[in-house]
Amino acid sequence: MSGVDQLSVQERMLLKHEVEEFLFMEAGLLDSRRFDDWISVLTEDIHYWMPIRRTTTAREVEREFTKPGGMAFFDDDLDYLKMRVDRLRVGRAWAEDPPSRTRRLITNIRVTDIEGEEVAVGCNFKLYRTRLNSEEDSWIGRREDTLRRVDGHFKLARRHIFLEQTVILSQNMSSLF
Amino acid sequence: MSSPKHDFFDANTGIIDRRMFTDAAIYQEELKKIFGRAWNFVCHQSQIPESGDYFMNWIGEDEVIVVRDREGKVNVLLNSCPHRGNTVCRAELGNTRSFFCSYHGWNFDLNGSLIGMPGEDIFYRSGIDKKEWGLTPVAKVDDYKGFVFATLDPDAPPLDEYLGWVGRLGIDFMATQGEVEFLDGVQKNRIQCNWKIAVDNLYDWYHVKVSHGSAMKLGVISDESMSPMEQMVMLGEYGHGIGGPGISEERYQESEQRIRSGEGGKIWYDRDVVKRMRPGVAEQLGPVGKRSFGHPNIFPNLWVALTHQVCLRIPRGPYETELWWFAYRLKDAPEEENFYYQSSQNHLFGPAGLLEQDDGENWSHSTRGATGTLAKTRPLNISMGLGADKISQDTSGQAGVETVVNEHGQRWHYQSWQEWMNSESWQELMTNHSMPPGAIV
Repeated sequence: MSGVDQLSVQERMLLKHEVEEFLFMEAGLLDSRRFDDWISVLTEDIHYWMPIRRTTTAREVEREFTKPGGMAFFDDDLDYLKMRVDRLRVGRAWAEDPPSRTRRLITNIRVTDIEGEEVAVGCNFKLYRTRLNSEEDSWIGRREDTLRRVDGHFKLARRHIFLEQTVILSQNMSSLF
Repeated sequence: MSSPKHDFFDANTGIIDRRMFTDAAIYQEELKKIFGRAWNFVCHQSQIPESGDYFMNWIGEDEVIVVRDREGKVNVLLNSCPHRGNTVCRAELGNTRSFFCSYHGWNFDLNGSLIGMPGEDIFYRSGIDKKEWGLTPVAKVDDYKGFVFATLDPDAPPLDEYLGWVGRLGIDFMATQGEVEFLDGVQKNRIQCNWKIAVDNLYDWYHVKVSHGSAMKLGVISDESMSPMEQMVMLGEYGHGIGGPGISEERYQESEQRIRSGEGGKIWYDRDVVKRMRPGVAEQLGPVGKRSFGHPNIFPNLWVALTHQVCLRIPRGPYETELWWFAYRLKDAPEEENFYYQSSQNHLFGPAGLLEQDDGENWSHSTRGATGTLAKTRPLNISMGLGADKISQDTSGQAGVETVVNEHGQRWHYQSWQEWMNSESWQELMTNHSMPPGAIV
């Protein structure tokens, strides 16, 4: 049973406001290339995952996404995420040199569950990237995030990213979602 | 009448005419003469284990359905209804009892035969010979150790002969490790580059330190495992090749030592090196093959990577290539070992891979670099190591070059490409193609 149902309207509004503030702040860190600050809002045990999506018939739509533990575009723990950020510092990370310009639009936010210190949040996103003079990428999808209260502040404990594209129509995904 | 001969590549100087990457007419000719003629990898048997299982793939710009029928046979069928040309399958994979055209309802069995259409009696009054109007099968389908290939050309030599010892060795690198089982999920993405540049790159151990400098500094890959000073190249008939690190006796001993002491368990290089030398495996790989840790390319576009993965470079026009990363596990390997490989599979290659994300822009800009009026006229230099190395022939018949970082593999790729393009038929190609240096004729 979802803990959200137990809350009063006022409590839900307040919680949603808190969640939004966190998600917008965190998206802002990535947009403004404050990657180390972004790492600092992740929990030690974060799971950051983007499965592969496939076109299936309507009858077999349960096969649309690869399963957790299987092949994926991202299947990162904190160490891997730090590596993605650290590589930007050490030089010769050509996918991001010159740096991409990105803007994240986070929308349709809803709190789907509460359990102890954790809040499950669903949202839609658009990540727009442009590079050099005329390169454009646009990734749209849905996220399932888990935020955890640590010392009174939210941290990101889980991010599962479900893109709409099957074949990724980009030369790379060097941006973080 | 034969068309004028292409001279985009000069084997004597290692100079190429970069218009081969951008010319639209050349691209159309490639679809016919390269992809329309070659044995193309379509899938692994383990991807479609059950009757009715199918996987969609491409041979050039022809989309094909790779499907297991009720007799257990794998059929490769053109995804095009013979009535109006519509596709009869729109999913990337699945299981089905038949392929039903969404336009008028023609229905095809798993072997491609037309089994019915709406109003057969009342509308087709003079009758229609259903036997004549099934889905078009490719000319030939065959399998080498579970890897399924198909060709559109009935005159293509048998798969085994086509692969030759180098192509077979490329697959043996995988097949001798144990029973291969492909994993669910193919990472697919598009790069705005010519497919030949993507193939060229898999032989390229010169770019690693520069293109992937960030990954190297973070220790994702080590300079040592790239072995710039200890390279080995094997070239095969019809354009197959293997290029990359060699395994010297000292390196083998070091890896063996690390594995034995337990500290090598997490180092893929050590584990694979030691596996190559196991009794039974070493004999199958041969005296030269067992000492290679390079990247095979099965001509034209199947790269066998070292991470238990293969990658297709699928042409999508002169300026666009789709990369398809397939991954496999070894059925009998310890779970921990497969887990370790899968971690590499999800983190090194593919569009978000810590290595591969830095490749795309280099390849697309190299392709784009052939479009300007002045740029078009400027040659490209692929001469590294030209004439500097001797191929040594082993008594087994295997031949290889042992040297430093070089461009032998790339030159062989372009030279073979040109020979394919300059042949009007398989017969002509079989007669005119160059034998790889050092091969027993």
